Amino acid sequence: MSEKTFGKYTKGTVARLLAGLSVAACLASSAVAQDAGTLRVLISQSPWLNAFVSLVDEYQAETGTKFQLDVPPFGGMVDKTRNSVRAETGSYDIININAQSLAEMYAGGFLKPLKEIDASFALPKGVVDFGGSAYWSAEKNSFDPNGELYGVPTNGNVLVLYYRSDLYEDAGLQVPKTWDDLIANAKALHNPPETYGFVARGTRESILFDFSPMLFSFGGSYFADPQQGDYSITLNNLQGLQALETFIKLNKEYGTGNPGALEQAELIQLLATGKAAQGTAVIAAVADLQDPNKSIVTDTIETALLPAGPEGKHASVAGQWMAGIPKNIPEANQQAAMKFLKWFLEKETQVAYVEAGGIPIRSDLADTALAGDPNYRFIKAFSENADVAQMNTPMKEGVRMKEVISLYLNRALIGEISAKEALNGAAQEAHDVLTAAGYKLTPPKML
Amino acid sequence: MATRPLDAARIERANLWWRIGSLAPAIIILAALSIWPVFNLAYLSLADVDWVSGAAVVNFVGLQNFQELFTGEPVYWAGVRNTTVFAVCAVTLQMIFGFTMALAVRRASKLGRGLLTAIFLLPIVIPPIVIGAMWRLLLGRDFGMVNFLFSLVGLPQVDWLGDPRFALMSVIIVDVWHWTPFVFLLTLAGLESLDQEVFDAAKLDVKNRWQELRYITIPLMMPTILITLAFRMILSFKVFDEIYLLTGGGPGTATEVINFSINRVFFAQDRVGMGSAMSLVTIAGVAGMIVFANTVVRRRRKLRAEA
Repeated sequence: MSEKTFGKYTKGTVARLLAGLSVAACLASSAVAQDAGTLRVLISQSPWLNAFVSLVDEYQAETGTKFQLDVPPFGGMVDKTRNSVRAETGSYDIININAQSLAEMYAGGFLKPLKEIDASFALPKGVVDFGGSAYWSAEKNSFDPNGELYGVPTNGNVLVLYYRSDLYEDAGLQVPKTWDDLIANAKALHNPPETYGFVARGTRESILFDFSPMLFSFGGSYFADPQQGDYSITLNNLQGLQALETFIKLNKEYGTGNPGALEQAELIQLLATGKAAQGTAVIAAVADLQDPNKSIVTDTIETALLPAGPEGKHASVAGQWMAGIPKNIPEANQQAAMKFLKWFLEKETQVAYVEAGGIPIRSDLADTALAGDPNYRFIKAFSENADVAQMNTPMKEGVRMKEVISLYLNRALIGEISAKEALNGAAQEAHDVLTAAGYKLTPPKML
Repeated sequence: MATRPLDAARIERANLWWRIGSLAPAIIILAALSIWPVFNLAYLSLADVDWVSGAAVVNFVGLQNFQELFTGEPVYWAGVRNTTVFAVCAVTLQMIFGFTMALAVRRASKLGRGLLTAIFLLPIVIPPIVIGAMWRLLLGRDFGMVNFLFSLVGLPQVDWLGDPRFALMSVIIVDVWHWTPFVFLLTLAGLESLDQEVFDAAKLDVKNRWQELRYITIPLMMPTILITLAFRMILSFKVFDEIYLLTGGGPGTATEVINFSINRVFFAQDRVGMGSAMSLVTIAGVAGMIVFANTVVRRRRKLRAEA
């Protein structure tokens, strides 16, 4: 091949390649062009996904609205959410946001206030707002029921107490009302390695969530007054110390022996195989524990309100999902998304949701067809815990706060440092982080 | 036919342009995909990115992220320590086992060679996610196969992944199992390429196989060994998936590694500036290691050439 021919051949190839690329680009852009009649939903791969999908099918059948679900694993949700809401035009019309990312999404200004889409909209009575986490006050930099409404709960995940009714009956035990009662029950039932008296998650990823109800019920808190925007660290006070010592005692003396490494899958496995007599876990775990293909304790595993602290205060922790509507999507899509969410909140829809395996977001389902059905006996415990559920790190820097505090709690649980050192260390580091971020705080008093 | 000087110059010029033109796309792609991101990291490491009203606000903070990294990020430094221990222990064991396996295969019969190679290579073809699940099932405390076997012979249960004393060691064992075939493959290729005549000639001088290994095989294999060592060391500093799947960095900071810290800061906490600073420091460390390994290999080559 002569050089000239080669040159011609190359030019021709490049021209054809460019033409091909242009055609491909046109085709691709038309392929991704948005179909106005389709609702694009970002939702995590989670135990309640199938229940959500069944509602989507029902809504589609009723209204003809088409859906396009993007279902990444939990770990990929934050990235997908950020990429979409930070783009000029969003990829999703409804974004399901985990409790931990709510403050980031609200405070970052990525979501449309729901009243700006539908001025008459308010969360219906009976819908749980999970510690006010549907609302955000930019002024107070906090969740605030008097703030702007941004979220609609889509899954009511709260921490509850699980226990084995057959073991309680055999040992003549009562459902614990206080943490002391729970410890007494754990002592009576602890017979390792056949049966562990109590299990809770203690890994760096989860310990804050599982420890929080104990902290709150003992009268402790992470921050002075988040709803008024005062994030001064209060974790390291006497109530906090008492709570952490109790948490460590329960897990170390009546747990598996490796509480600092116990994560959700293993915890559910311990409960499902009958190796754990009691434990705290999210209400969403009930689906696996009542499934005969996954559990040998389907009829004897029960749920209850988490025990109270010394002053009789009950508390749980909110791990719910909220649906938000992004600002960066066309108005027609926002309206369509709003319409679906309103339908989702209806009592009748929620009954169908529970029947399909979902965890409700309403606490007023006691007078529905679900009442009295043993398959849905968890609803009472869900409602009771949802009523006392709080957000644990309710600010924009929540994920970092969680990681800072969790590491100290985990180290105390595995015995690397004392409970007092853990609380003082966590308080000081959390204070430093927030101060560096511009918060005006009162320095924590060391224990 | 003789080429006229004018034509020769034209052809030379055309060839030059063709060379530049054909290399340019590759160079541009390389620059776009590897050099530009590093510059971008460097830029972001000097900044703090916040999001207000849906828009990014980039504040230039100078060296503040680096200052904070060196004074106030204990988890990252725990990761540096663990990654170094992990890399040194895992790679040392992989080199010993991999090279031994390669020697064994080289000396095996033709049938044995095929069989052993297939068996030895098995771990490297298994996807990391499967390896994580598999080893969790083996090493789990209550439901693990290893503890089950221990209980059969009356040994106490060991919390392989949850006890800070054993967690890093367990992860190293998994990594050794996973990556020894890589060393095996490279050293076997090196052994196969050695000149048999050298071994035949050496038969007069060496008394046994140990002497042959020590005075002939290892010196001849040294360039391959060093390259493999450097390669594995660099890859070990990139460890992420095994730790993520087996221990999640815990308990405490027992198995925290550099990439885990970066992932947490960059993506979970969305602290782009600090994540970039951590990435840059890590890149500098690994680059230093590459330069060091390269220098050692070159110096050895030079010494050999001089000898």
